[in-house]
Amino acid sequence: MQIITSFPLVKIFIILLSAFSMPLIHNRRHIKIISIIFLSFSLTLSLITLNYVFRNGAFYFNAGYPDTFLGIQLYIGPVETLLSSVLEFVILVVVWFSAFSIDEEIRQNRIKFFYILIHLLTASILGIIYTNDIFNGYVFIEVAALASCGIIVIKEKKENIKAATKYIIMSTIGSGLLLMGIAFIYSYTGHLNMDLIHLEILEGYDDYFKSLLIIVALYTAGLGVKSAMFPLHIWLPDAHSSAPTASSALLSGVVLKGFAYFLIKFMDRMLGFEIINQLNILPIILILGSSGMIFGSLSAIFQKNIKRLIAYSSVAQMGYIFLAIGLGSPFGAVIAVYHMMGHAVTKSALFLCSGLMIEKTGKNEISNYRGLGFEMPITFILFTLGALSMVGIPILPGFISKWYLSIESIQLGKFLLIFVILLSSLLNAVYYFPIIINGFFGIENLENRVYKSKRAPYEKLAPIIVLITAMLVLGIFSKDVLDFLITGINAL
Amino acid sequence: MTLLNNYYESASIILFGIGLATLMLNRNLIKKIIGMNIMDTSIFLFLVAKGYITGRKAPIITTGFEGIDAYVNPIPSALILTGIVVAVSVTAFLLALTVKIYEAYGTVDLEIILNLKGDAYADNNKLPLG
Repeated sequence: MQIITSFPLVKIFIILLSAFSMPLIHNRRHIKIISIIFLSFSLTLSLITLNYVFRNGAFYFNAGYPDTFLGIQLYIGPVETLLSSVLEFVILVVVWFSAFSIDEEIRQNRIKFFYILIHLLTASILGIIYTNDIFNGYVFIEVAALASCGIIVIKEKKENIKAATKYIIMSTIGSGLLLMGIAFIYSYTGHLNMDLIHLEILEGYDDYFKSLLIIVALYTAGLGVKSAMFPLHIWLPDAHSSAPTASSALLSGVVLKGFAYFLIKFMDRMLGFEIINQLNILPIILILGSSGMIFGSLSAIFQKNIKRLIAYSSVAQMGYIFLAIGLGSPFGAVIAVYHMMGHAVTKSALFLCSGLMIEKTGKNEISNYRGLGFEMPITFILFTLGALSMVGIPILPGFISKWYLSIESIQLGKFLLIFVILLSSLLNAVYYFPIIINGFFGIENLENRVYKSKRAPYEKLAPIIVLITAMLVLGIFSKDVLDFLITGINAL
Repeated sequence: MTLLNNYYESASIILFGIGLATLMLNRNLIKKIIGMNIMDTSIFLFLVAKGYITGRKAPIITTGFEGIDAYVNPIPSALILTGIVVAVSVTAFLLALTVKIYEAYGTVDLEIILNLKGDAYADNNKLPLG
């Protein structure tokens, strides 16, 4: 079974190779088919790897010299394989959706570039998740940032160009800080491999407390900008709301998670939670995470544009992830990863639903969606299910992560956090429920509406149904998922 | 006076500060790009200063191997090479975006662009060109 251990590298390679072979093909339909074939192939390999890790445990893959620390190493543990499988699944489904919707949103000669960028994005996100080498991670992060900027600006509207400029400038600030952090840690430990850095730091971190503090601060700020930690999120609403529907789903669902997972990897694998708990950085992440949960939701309440509302909801949901990281316990990291997966599936479904609503009504203000539940029932029911998960209704993934987050904060004696979580859930309900209630109920809303008159075509609904089903599965089997993830976080 | 002894590192941190401040505080997009480049270059200076050991050679063997102590570690230089490539591509992308921004708004002043909310919003509701 030696060949399975090379699958992660093979996946990154075939996705990159297919990306660079696309410029040779002129038929748009063929490009879409090739994209779907390669992404499903890579998802298959992911699932095989997942099965292998489930049976045999984590493994390393040396993409350079075997059995030495020279060269780049990939580490594939339970968290990595499960997270990458879920994210790849989301990417595949969004690409499936985009095959039917992208022609209406961007210019015809740009479609080729859209799929090239999506492949680059997929490969770099997989790289960020798998890599065990921090500099390699940095390069993948840069590729992901440029590619995600590309899928925003591909629409070529004034607003998109503005949003992309804002995004790339914030993102370069982040990558500058991150690269400085890498330079610091390299001059401190002399290694780029995460395991070797961990061993080196364990040896005498008492003498280097201040340098460690600077390193952690640089890392947190750098990755915080990229994954929309609360005060650094200002680029997100513009970028995610102006992009084409498929891009928004990918940016909110997948890209943010890759960066946030790199932060978890840094804390869990490189420093270890014992060391990081002695630095005074986790309380700051905790406070920023909770303020993100509250202020993201508060800003979402006042939005009139549906995509901006969902984008602000992403800020709030990233706040949960940072809150879970900030708890500073291994189980907190597990919840963060679980929330990432739940949010990836749910938020991309919500963005796709909102894309269908905008397409059918031609308007993106929420006030135009009164009675729309009657006109496009299936889309609205799917939207409702996604929104219920965001609010936190039992069985759905949003509830599971909030529940375990509360239990974990009680165990750590941080009772105040429960009120933050409750308040945030209530605020989530405040902005999601009016859309749903106005969509389905109210006599004045439903007057002159024809049942199913704006029904979305089934080929566009099918991807969303798949995503919502995946969300339900993730919620129902949450116990198994969490048990599997726990074996990954404590591995080191 | 450890700060003066490590003058490369001190200089690179000062440059990093200058670059970061330019990137964050300047309104002009071109100046922001220059700030980004200063910031990246300062990091390269930091790494290359850390990687060099006085009196040792680059690890390129031409006349015969002289032992491990004769050469410096090549990894920092390799990292900088990769870093330069990344910085160049980000700069190219940003410059291309700046051209687009100038075409769309007629200015490269980010402050003005960000306050022009109204007409950009109206533009967004039109259907794209085929």
